[in-house]
Amino acid sequence: MNCEKKDANTATSRREFISEGARIAVAAGLGVLAGGVAARTAPETTVWQIDPYLCTWCGKCATDCVLQPSAVKCVQMYPMCGYCRLCTGYFEPDPVRLDTAAENQVCPTGAIKRKALEDPYYEYSIDEKLCIGCAKCVKGCTLFGNGSFFLQIRHDRCVNCNECSIAVVCPPQAIKRVPASQPYLFKSRERQG
Amino acid sequence: MKSKPEQNNISRRGFLKAGTAVAAAAAAAPLMANAATAAAPPQSSNQFDYDIERFKKVDPQLIKYEVAARFKCPRNDSRRLAIGPDGALYIAASGWVSLLNADGRPLHEFEVAGQARAVAVSPDGLVYASLRDHIEVFDANGKRLASWAPPQSKAWISGLAVSGETIWAADSGNRVVWRCDRSGKVIARIGEKNKDRNIPGLVAPSPHLDVKMGADGLLRVTNPGRHSVELYTEKGDLELAWGRPSMAIDGFCGCCNPISIALLPDGRHVTCEKGLPRVKIYSEKGVFESVVAGPESFPASLQAQTGAHKSDGLLAGLDAAADAQGRIWILDQLAGELLLMRRKTGV
Repeated sequence: MNCEKKDANTATSRREFISEGARIAVAAGLGVLAGGVAARTAPETTVWQIDPYLCTWCGKCATDCVLQPSAVKCVQMYPMCGYCRLCTGYFEPDPVRLDTAAENQVCPTGAIKRKALEDPYYEYSIDEKLCIGCAKCVKGCTLFGNGSFFLQIRHDRCVNCNECSIAVVCPPQAIKRVPASQPYLFKSRERQG
Repeated sequence: MKSKPEQNNISRRGFLKAGTAVAAAAAAAPLMANAATAAAPPQSSNQFDYDIERFKKVDPQLIKYEVAARFKCPRNDSRRLAIGPDGALYIAASGWVSLLNADGRPLHEFEVAGQARAVAVSPDGLVYASLRDHIEVFDANGKRLASWAPPQSKAWISGLAVSGETIWAADSGNRVVWRCDRSGKVIARIGEKNKDRNIPGLVAPSPHLDVKMGADGLLRVTNPGRHSVELYTEKGDLELAWGRPSMAIDGFCGCCNPISIALLPDGRHVTCEKGLPRVKIYSEKGVFESVVAGPESFPASLQAQTGAHKSDGLLAGLDAAADAQGRIWILDQLAGELLLMRRKTGV
């Protein structure tokens, strides 16, 4: 049997083999370490949200969202609500009567529901299917009341555009990206002193 | 050569007439445009605007007071004021109660352990300050003499008054006025819903409930959720209630007003509102008389209504106190200013 003699240049000695193997092992280890660090420090997925303390009720959330009706909805923070008989988020500034007639309601789509509780208290809730995010009720509630109505981007509707079309036109730049794990920005009584 | 038709010829007189008319029209056009602009109300670009602009204008004929002086509050977050027996102003602020003389110059101040939310001074010079859920008592030099236990859980004492040996504490958290003796012992609860006594009950959607004692011995209690002022005897019988909800100048605006009250030496009422910041005077029986200061007197609050420096109505409030001369001191909480209002001459 003829054994072909190896070329001296291509032959690998045991020492070289071990040395090469060690280099590969170190490189692989560093790769795994770097990957682990990268995974730990990677930015969390974010979503768009409105800071309710910056919102100026400009109405653009209703008109500038790529969705119609908008993904922005009014939400009700019940612990802050005064359950007022004359709710300035529900009634026009000087209503004819304090009843549920459309002429007396501030909401252009009738999305706020009013339910009598113990006299003289009423509960107000938002029908999100009807809400267009115009913030008319938010302004009324904030100027005169406790500010329990405020706008939030609802993530069951928002398509999380790379560039939010409302954020582009938002006068006070109240729309920002927040971690998807904490997608809502709430108001609180404590913050208001 | 053919002559031009007669109708196309323009005489020198005709040319001058036409030229004058065109020049006059051109000169008048900008004036008319300006007049039209001035007459038209400012248009909001927001088709969904909650529009209260028309309610911010007050008939100048109704404004019977003018600003005599304006001072900066000595401490941040000044909430309430009271006038002591010596005529000094006592201002409840964040961590401090400050004393000013009638010229607005600081006299003295002393520390309190937190946000002072109401203040009252007894005829013998003791100072009672509300620290949200309890009352602390200080001597005239600011030495703390006592700290009373909260009268009930969820107490939020937003108004104080002193008469004789009685301290009245308006608790917006529990919707009641506590009648206490000088040691802090609760003697009675006033203003609670009671069908048998025909008392509808106090409604305080936000932490604004105020109390003052009149020279006639009747306690004045604001009932902001019912847009009224109620008068009670010392035993808690409801004698009179007046006020109606309305953005109009003679009513109380928004969801919950008036937020605070003061009494003039002749027994008339001074009321303060939030939302539409207004200070007004009502007769002893509650008939609207005049305006002390309308929304235009409180630019910081109006600025807040555009969304800037917004504080959700809780800080954008007013308080008032009347001195022995019938002058009215107004505390503008958002601006951190004191306004001394005097009656206009000749009105």
